[in-house]
Amino acid sequence: MADRPPPQKAPDKLTFLLALVPYLIDQVRVTVTDAAAHFGTTPDDMRTAVVLIAMSGTPGTDGTYTHETLFDIDWDDFDERDIIRFRAAPMEEKPRFSAREAAALLAGLQRVAALPAFTAHIDIIELMAKLARGTTGAPAPVAVRAAELAAVHAILVEAVSTNRRVRLDYVSTRGERGVRDVDPLHIEGVDESWYLRGWCLTRDAERTFLLDRMASAELLGVAESHAVASADDVLFQGASTDERVTLALPLVALPLIADYQGSGDPVKVEGDRVIVTLPIAHPGILGRIAARLAGGVEILEPASARASVAAWARAALEEQDNSAAWPQNPPG
Amino acid sequence: MPSSARRVPVEERLFSLVLALLATEQGLTKAEILSTVTGYAARYGLASDRANLDRQFERDKEELRDLGVPLETVDAVGADGDTKLQRYRIPRARYQLPDDIVFSPEEYAMLTLAAQVWREGSLSTDSRRALTKLQSLGVRIDDAVIGFAPSIRTRDAAHEPLTVAIDRGQQVVFPYLKPGQTAAEHRTVSPLALVFHEGRWHLHAHDDGVDSARTFLLRRIVGPVTLTGSAATVRPAANESARVLDELAALWSATVATVSARPGSEADVVLRNRPATREAEGSLQVHATDLDILADELAAFGADVRVLAPSSLRDSVRLRWQRLVLTHG
Repeated sequence: MADRPPPQKAPDKLTFLLALVPYLIDQVRVTVTDAAAHFGTTPDDMRTAVVLIAMSGTPGTDGTYTHETLFDIDWDDFDERDIIRFRAAPMEEKPRFSAREAAALLAGLQRVAALPAFTAHIDIIELMAKLARGTTGAPAPVAVRAAELAAVHAILVEAVSTNRRVRLDYVSTRGERGVRDVDPLHIEGVDESWYLRGWCLTRDAERTFLLDRMASAELLGVAESHAVASADDVLFQGASTDERVTLALPLVALPLIADYQGSGDPVKVEGDRVIVTLPIAHPGILGRIAARLAGGVEILEPASARASVAAWARAALEEQDNSAAWPQNPPG
Repeated sequence: MPSSARRVPVEERLFSLVLALLATEQGLTKAEILSTVTGYAARYGLASDRANLDRQFERDKEELRDLGVPLETVDAVGADGDTKLQRYRIPRARYQLPDDIVFSPEEYAMLTLAAQVWREGSLSTDSRRALTKLQSLGVRIDDAVIGFAPSIRTRDAAHEPLTVAIDRGQQVVFPYLKPGQTAAEHRTVSPLALVFHEGRWHLHAHDDGVDSARTFLLRRIVGPVTLTGSAATVRPAANESARVLDELAALWSATVATVSARPGSEADVVLRNRPATREAEGSLQVHATDLDILADELAAFGADVRVLAPSSLRDSVRLRWQRLVLTHG
């Protein structure tokens, strides 16, 4: 997660200033480097903020800013030794959280608290109550409930933390089921989906596996380390061999296919319809997209994709009338 | 002092406004603020600029309140609502984090992780600011304590305007595409709570069109969320979001479909891994909060799934496939 932070806007910079002042007062004397590291910013940005604070203050009783009402910094320490030391400050209060800030933390806590690793050490209810008391007004009504974790989750956590190889019974996004031996790198959770990133010995390549596609996971011996081929962390990157399929759907339904769309895929709006072209790995995925939109999708081209989606849907309808037991050997 | 011709950055003007309003006990009038505080004062002398300056001040007040700064307006005695005589102040007791709120390094590490849950969108902005405020406490933690964070995306465009509307107690209108439908309808609602349940964001709101409480899926708000300009007709109760989550959980356990999946198929594995799925007499009991959404999900498995009950679900799954055959056959 090496996401670069977006450029700061004025409200973020103000929040930084309001948080920085009480920190600097509490520290009494701190180097620019240490203060910057604490706030995760650069020494240059820290110096800029300190200079801004040092030139600020409150209008006195006669409405003018004077040395008595300004922040008073030791300029010698600052200019010559890169040390921040304020001798006087018109304010030193630590700010409360806004209703929305508290809500973001509380909802995040509810997510994190579902992980077994954290519940043992911290009284989460007490922590949440403390946060609520530190908020201006009441925290905004935002809440998160994490789903129960799949049984394989605990096995994979153990595999990652003890560096063990795992054997997965796995069904790929292409619908192919098989046994895969994997040396795990890490587990990542996005929304309710969990992913295992690891070196797949079956394919001899780094791969990402979805936990909800694992029928089972079994611990094997000690994992080996592998040269990581790429830091590329994109989960559903279309392959260059994927067929490009053009489809039309109601404009209002466009947000519903966001998961399948890449940033470079063309989108054309025609009245209340929208025409999009997507890379499609196999016909099952096309059927999945079309069926997900309550059937309100038309595949325009190629003709072979139209035919295969129609065949896919016909097969599905026929299967509904089939009351015989499923064949025991899965196809593929 | 800097020369009056200097262009004052926005954050410096806002910072100076906070300092001035924290320092005053009885409050400052708008004229006092605009004529003295850094960022306004240099422009106060220009009569031509006065209307702009007034609007600027209104926006700045809104900005500070959004950031949780308790900016108060005090009417002059006997002159209620007279904006010329009103005084503004920030009471220190309401601004300041209570002294007894301290976090242990473990708690601090957990809060840091909680803030990292938000990867994008409005909650990520809010949690980043919360994290900055946490840093003002000066708690030192070992980086190694911070493990990996599960993340939740709030990229649904509706999330941010709904957060703002709830915060300000405003009514909103948005186009909503009901599950199973292909045309959106406009809904006018007083938003009450945003909750994340089973991988999806839900808005709980009082639907002012039908005068009744409703729950909406954010993914199905398919156009802009706009403020109507009216105040919300209903405000959230103290435990609104927890109550909504309980209701959704109850709905999830009460809504059951019976399906059969081709052994060994993707449908078989994925449906068995779905929370609360049970096997009974060779078929699977699958839970959901909304049968129309479940119909979309089941239809996506094609010939690897047979829908057995309820019959309404069976029909709506069939309908999805029939439409595909009609359109492409």
